[in-house]
Amino acid sequence: MERTLLCEIVTPERIVYTNEVRMVVAPTIDGEIGILPLHAPLVSPLKPGEIRVMYGDDRVEWFAISGGYVQVHEDKVIILADHAAAASQIDVERARQALKHAKDRMAELPAEDEVGVNACMADLNWCEAQLSVASKDRA
Amino acid sequence: MANLRDIKKRIGSVESTRQITRTMEMVATAKIKKAQEKIEAARPYALSMMEVLGNVARYAKGAEHPLLEEHDERRRVVVIAVTSDRGLAGAFNSSILRLTENIIRDEGDAGVRVDVIAVGKKAAGYFRYRGIEPIAVYRDISDKPTFTDAKSIAAHVIGPFAAEEVDAVYVAFNRFKNVAEQKPEVHQLLPIERRVVDEAAEGSDVSAEYTFEPDAQSVLVRLLPTYVETLIFRALMESAASEHGARRTAMKSATDNASEMITTLTRSYNRARQASITNEIAEIVGGAAALED
Repeated sequence: MERTLLCEIVTPERIVYTNEVRMVVAPTIDGEIGILPLHAPLVSPLKPGEIRVMYGDDRVEWFAISGGYVQVHEDKVIILADHAAAASQIDVERARQALKHAKDRMAELPAEDEVGVNACMADLNWCEAQLSVASKDRA
Repeated sequence: MANLRDIKKRIGSVESTRQITRTMEMVATAKIKKAQEKIEAARPYALSMMEVLGNVARYAKGAEHPLLEEHDERRRVVVIAVTSDRGLAGAFNSSILRLTENIIRDEGDAGVRVDVIAVGKKAAGYFRYRGIEPIAVYRDISDKPTFTDAKSIAAHVIGPFAAEEVDAVYVAFNRFKNVAEQKPEVHQLLPIERRVVDEAAEGSDVSAEYTFEPDAQSVLVRLLPTYVETLIFRALMESAASEHGARRTAMKSATDNASEMITTLTRSYNRARQASITNEIAEIVGGAAALED
């Protein structure tokens, strides 16, 4: 039998996804990496973006994440993210509105308000990650 | 002697009060369960987070990080007071406010300025009334806190602490011990105690040779703020569960008290009725006797 990886995507609020897969592709801050079984133990921060998981039968599933961490150890991939959503679960209309809202807020925020700007930036990135993943899922 | 009609009226009013408190008790019971499930659902993330933190800490031993630094001088501390938006929950809010008040007094005596972040309308209202303007107020989140809320609260303290504008950060919240018991506690958030990091490192799997991208130190730099956010999130969730627990207990005793009051009132109602009947009979008998003569 083909060797598989256990992939877990976890947010502080719940476990979003857990399954046996053939490969996981994750956006680390230094670029995208593909994780196959027997990967060396690894810890890395992740950028906001997409996670792809590939199954033995070449099916692919997409997830949007808002950034976080990945840990690989003994064929177990744990992805810790503030927010994560499966492509099929993304509400495109809502994400679009949230993006617009975040952009409007950004324009109004004074540059000195670092806390506000950072929070707004995180919202923006999360919305964009969702929209980009949703568009790929449908394509 | 109490008027029959008055007693009847009181029984009616206590009964409708009991109806309300009983309903609130049932609502709170249902909500405790949901809040408890949320705490459970957050556990996998917290556990994995500690595992990652342990692995990173093992490689970045003795690492310097602003969030781990004890400041030499203590000029300003921040207390995050986690209360609820609604009352009728017994000592739930007052004990948190008292704990916060203690910190303000003790630190104030030592010449330290204390700022408050108010979570819940009760804390906001109380501190405003006391003439202490909170540096941030969070309303309508105490019932169902999200991680975004926790992040937003964390953003108010992490930056200033790293910049040495704040020298310590505490969170005062009701820890959820079990359905019937909540414990008001104050936890230190910042600086992160080195012990926590060291213990996590000791618990990690030493046999695995980890690679870090870009390197252990920079992963740690990102990880520690997230760790603080999860601590705040945890406090918010525990407080939410505790709120419902405290309200259930308070409403249960209110319901019990109402029942007891109804029993007493019914007794005096019956006694008064009895007395008035006896009175009437006495009058009739007296009247009849007068006629016979």
